[in-house]
Amino acid sequence: MNIVVCVKQIPDPAEPGALDPNTKTLKRDGKLILDESDSYGVEMALQLADAAGGGEVTLVSMAPNSETSGLRTALAMGAAKSVLVSDPALSGTDALGTAKILAAAIKRVEGADLILTATESSDGYTGTVPEQIAELLGLPSITFAKSIAIDGGTVKVQRQTEAGYDECEAPLPAVVSVTAGVVEPRYPSFKGIMAAKSKPVDEVDCAALGIDPGSVGWAGGGQEIVTVEAAPAREAGEVVEDDGTGFEKIVAFLDNLKVI
Amino acid sequence: MFDWTDEQKMLRDAVRQFIEKELVPIHEELEHGDTPPYDLLRKLFATFGMDAMARDGFKKRIEAEKAAAEAKARGEEPPAKKEREGGMDPSFTMIPIIELCRYSPGIVTAMGVSMGLTAAAISSRGTIAQKERWVPELLTMEKVGAWAITEPNSGSDAFGSMKSTARRDGDEYVLNGSKTFITNGPYADTIVFICKLDEGNPPAERKILSFVLDRGMPGLEQSKPLRKMGMHSSPTGELFLSDVRVGRDRLIGETEDVPSGGREGAKDTFSMERSGVAAMALGIISQCLELSVEYAKNRVQFGQPIGEFQLIQEKLAKMEVHRLNVQNLVFRYIEMGQAGVGLTLAEASAMKLYSARAAMEVALEAVQLFGGNGYMSEFKVEQLCRDAKVLQIYAGTDEIQITHIAKDLLRR
Ligand SMILES: Cc1cc2nc3c(=O)[nH]c(=O)nc-3n(C[C@H](O)[C@H](O)[C@H](O)COP(=O)(O)OP(=O)(O)OC[C@H]3O[C@@H](n4cnc5c(N)ncnc54)[C@H](O)[C@@H]3O)c2cc1C
Repeated sequence: MNIVVCVKQIPDPAEPGALDPNTKTLKRDGKLILDESDSYGVEMALQLADAAGGGEVTLVSMAPNSETSGLRTALAMGAAKSVLVSDPALSGTDALGTAKILAAAIKRVEGADLILTATESSDGYTGTVPEQIAELLGLPSITFAKSIAIDGGTVKVQRQTEAGYDECEAPLPAVVSVTAGVVEPRYPSFKGIMAAKSKPVDEVDCAALGIDPGSVGWAGGGQEIVTVEAAPAREAGEVVEDDGTGFEKIVAFLDNLKVI
Repeated sequence: MFDWTDEQKMLRDAVRQFIEKELVPIHEELEHGDTPPYDLLRKLFATFGMDAMARDGFKKRIEAEKAAAEAKARGEEPPAKKEREGGMDPSFTMIPIIELCRYSPGIVTAMGVSMGLTAAAISSRGTIAQKERWVPELLTMEKVGAWAITEPNSGSDAFGSMKSTARRDGDEYVLNGSKTFITNGPYADTIVFICKLDEGNPPAERKILSFVLDRGMPGLEQSKPLRKMGMHSSPTGELFLSDVRVGRDRLIGETEDVPSGGREGAKDTFSMERSGVAAMALGIISQCLELSVEYAKNRVQFGQPIGEFQLIQEKLAKMEVHRLNVQNLVFRYIEMGQAGVGLTLAEASAMKLYSARAAMEVALEAVQLFGGNGYMSEFKVEQLCRDAKVLQIYAGTDEIQITHIAKDLLRR
């Protein structure tokens, strides 16, 4: 059972983040860490490989400045190896561009039976990349998995819904996005931490992936950030003294909002 | 080395997370509820694979020893000791000690005595069979170990005034005596009992022997935990032996012919624990300093944060000086370990003396900086302050460290 997990390395949310005034995007030049929401996918993959009695977990990540700190954390947890895409041309890449890069990187991993992702990253929140990857790879996709089981050539997923969960299946290989919090990510063992340093990280750029740099980055992005404004402070609410007709004011207020 | 490596930071952060999730919620219970720390330690070991690593390491060492013993029996040269294969990085033990001591130096005391002192006492002088019988489960914390030398009337002068005895009786020994202040004493499964061989000769000439005892042996009584000033998460107790019968298989080394009458063996153990105390001090100091800086920024008196007062600034500055010095001692120890170089007794003693005093001074000043809150347990520095005091007493008092440093210097 060979599993690929897409993981994002993000600025530590515990540190105060900053925007680059020129690009109006989050500064990513410091040390990056493994996005917590991806640690669930890593854990799920390790558990599935264990349950299958073997196979490798391979990480795929796109990050600036050849960053590997977050990858090392997942390697220390037990992933076997990783593909890292790092290229200055990737600065400003939007969600679809990211999916193109990750899909191309996943193709480098031979014999992948299952591709896991988080539902969304903790610093971007577009939540669209998993389905885009599936589409680009021509694979079936299931989102919001709260539990995953492999049955022969089929992946069986409990897909979280507001009311409970749906039971879904897809033939392998498939792309499945994992909901945060559904498994308890393991701590890296001391041995794992020591071993992580020497696990292979296959670093590639756009050229190696056969991707035209013009189709990704700012150039390829279908978006432009025009301006970034501080969120307006919440305005003080209206205080109404109840003189016995308070309920009429509430009805009028809700009516005005067109909710009743 | 001037900073932790990325790898060491990963280890530190992981251990810190574990502590926040597993230790902090039961901290009160460990400090004030007589809940022994062993289950938490076992969980720590299992979580980070420290138990499996210890077992693997032990297996390798014992196989090398067996090969050497077999070669010797055949009259061949024993195979050359392998160069340290990168060895176990001391930071892998120092970092958990530092991190645990930010909250609970007592837990480290219980851990250090069990997997450190007790296991080392058997490992350094025991026969291969004895090591296989007792050491692996001590290293993994499956079994709790205690190391008993101190007696009601013999502490610093451990050998001089020691009253515990072993008497030969046929093929067996009969052990008698009482020990006190024994870490893990109340719960220990495996106890190293240090005593004098009574052959009717004057006590000063008697050989020092060590025996391994198991919990529940007839004649062995383990007291309840003693009430004490600090280190409440480390159970400390008394041991009473009346006519405990043991075979030669429990005499460490299975021989009475121990070098320098057995007095050196225990001293090796002393110097090992002294370096661990520096890591403990670093944890206490780092935590007290961090808490103090926060408090100095936020506590307002006379219309300004108390951190604006120079008398408070001096406290913070002195704490930082101590933190840097102790951290440098720890870094030096780690680098020496990586290079396979050991500390001299004077160095180990100097390291312990300075670190213990620094931890005490920093923790007392932290209490002062916190004012009335510092005296209340809610603010945590009072516990660290009570805990820090014992660093100047056990593993050799400050006065004994000074004596050892000077003796070593004057002997050169
Ligand atoms: C929490 C705790 C845990 C412990 N755990 C263990 C354990 O697991 N196993 C164990 O065997 N022991 C243990 N001990 C005992 C500890 O090692 C002794 O308390 C310590 O060695 C000091 O001995 P003492 O208490 O008899 O003090 P004493 O030796 O009576 O010392 C009293 C004072 O006299 C000073 N003094 C003594 N001799 C000299 C000298 N030559 N020159 C100058 N000053 C001197 C001392 O420094 C001290 O200030 C523990 C103690 C504590 C408090």
